[in-house]
Amino acid sequence: MPVRAIDPALLRPAVRTMPWRAIGAAGALGLLLAAVPRLMGEEADARLALDALRASAVTFALGAAFVLDDPARHTTAAVPTRRAVRHGLRVLLVASVAAVWWTAALLLVPEAVRPPAVGITVEAATALTLALSGAAFAIHRGDGARPGRAVAAFLLTLAVLGPLLTPGSWALFVPPDDPRWAAAHGRWAVLLCAEVVVGAVCAAEPGRRLTPRGLRSPSGTSGPSRA
Amino acid sequence: MTPTVSASGLSLRYGGTRALDDVSLRLSAGVTGLLGPNGAGKTTLLRVLATAVPADRGAFTVLGHDPGTSRGRQEVRRHLGYLPQTPGFHPDFTPFEFVDYVAILKELTDRAARHREVRRVLDEAGLDGVRGKRIRKLSGGMRQRVALAAALVGDPAFLVLDEPTVGLDPEQRMRFRELIARAGEGRTVLLSTHQTEDVAMLCHRVVVLAGGTVRFDGTPAELTARAAGRVWSSAERDPGAKAGWRTGLGTFRNVGDPPVGADLLEPTLEDGYLLTLDGLDGVDTEVAA
Repeated sequence: MPVRAIDPALLRPAVRTMPWRAIGAAGALGLLLAAVPRLMGEEADARLALDALRASAVTFALGAAFVLDDPARHTTAAVPTRRAVRHGLRVLLVASVAAVWWTAALLLVPEAVRPPAVGITVEAATALTLALSGAAFAIHRGDGARPGRAVAAFLLTLAVLGPLLTPGSWALFVPPDDPRWAAAHGRWAVLLCAEVVVGAVCAAEPGRRLTPRGLRSPSGTSGPSRA
Repeated sequence: MTPTVSASGLSLRYGGTRALDDVSLRLSAGVTGLLGPNGAGKTTLLRVLATAVPADRGAFTVLGHDPGTSRGRQEVRRHLGYLPQTPGFHPDFTPFEFVDYVAILKELTDRAARHREVRRVLDEAGLDGVRGKRIRKLSGGMRQRVALAAALVGDPAFLVLDEPTVGLDPEQRMRFRELIARAGEGRTVLLSTHQTEDVAMLCHRVVVLAGGTVRFDGTPAELTARAAGRVWSSAERDPGAKAGWRTGLGTFRNVGDPPVGADLLEPTLEDGYLLTLDGLDGVDTEVAA
């Protein structure tokens, strides 16, 4: 039987195995949040629009945290199609949806109060990439079938505590009229790149054990021996 | 005979716990049973051999390919079928769709040939009548068959089955044994199980694993022979026995070194297994019952 590295036929089942409900719910809620400034009419200001878009981006990222959830992960653990390919396909699918969704979210915000698109888009991309690389990291370290819930909880915690705990010298959550806006978005870009690197590294399957001992355990119900 | 799988010195630790310790094996065509109590390292060994987790030390090859390299691992996986202990599915898929998905992941690219292959393994697994039904609506036994069909698709030379008969009723278990026996014709099957009956009925060879080490490697007859002259019946539990349990007849079956004049019984594979483990400590009650 002929074999080839990547089969386009993989696309259809990959689309079907995506957690569309989580993504759809998060996307709908995110759009609702992004629409708040428009719904408020003239009462809306730039700060509210910025907060609405940030909340919207985090909400979508919470849904995206479930993208790598795969109940069949252990059943398909030993197939020749690499994990990087399978994860990459899912990430591409969600990234395509995210691009359309984010454009809609931006357009929902009245132009008069809309923050600079590039800066806020970098923030949104960082949130999304954090969710995806977090899920890839969780799978790499724990090999669980459904890391989404834990990653979403981590992301939500970080979204709440991040603005409170970020040091002033490394400010991230600044308004557009703040002189630190450009510098802050340089930092957002650094974070984004770091997340991409982590995600790419975690997508690879180690041939030898590279991680510290004791962090992973077999998925079987049988516990390890006490020998 | 050239071994399909050749493993040497496989070791793996989880923190301070030794899951595998210097395990060496050579597997050839036929069904090899892997017996051991809970925590013996069976699942870990199977996951290592299925390339799902790398070992800390040691090496192994499958059909001459070394999974320690990325390319080697892919080659190994092209010849591998793996049924994990708790197989998961996409519940909205039908058995046909799910096995077809696994076939795509196994790089069977020709659509018509792939579909023929999927139909073949579904038929082989006895799923022909339910191949259009959603997996969420199938019984546990049927789902196990779907997982077996997924493992069999692509006709792998090496099949790794982790406790495939757990949770099945006696009839389902019997049917599953037939499937495994058929699967073992012409290919190498490594079957992890708690059930000594599975080994007695299916396997040409048995490996007993305990504490991450190989305690026995031989034929089921050789394992049974270990208990020859070391199984006896008594009215009360014999304190000198390494293991003893009450039978349905109200007497006790003991294994160990029998007292003089003991009423010796015909040994079974289970007796040999218990003696190999040196008693019932840590042995699953399912085995000892």
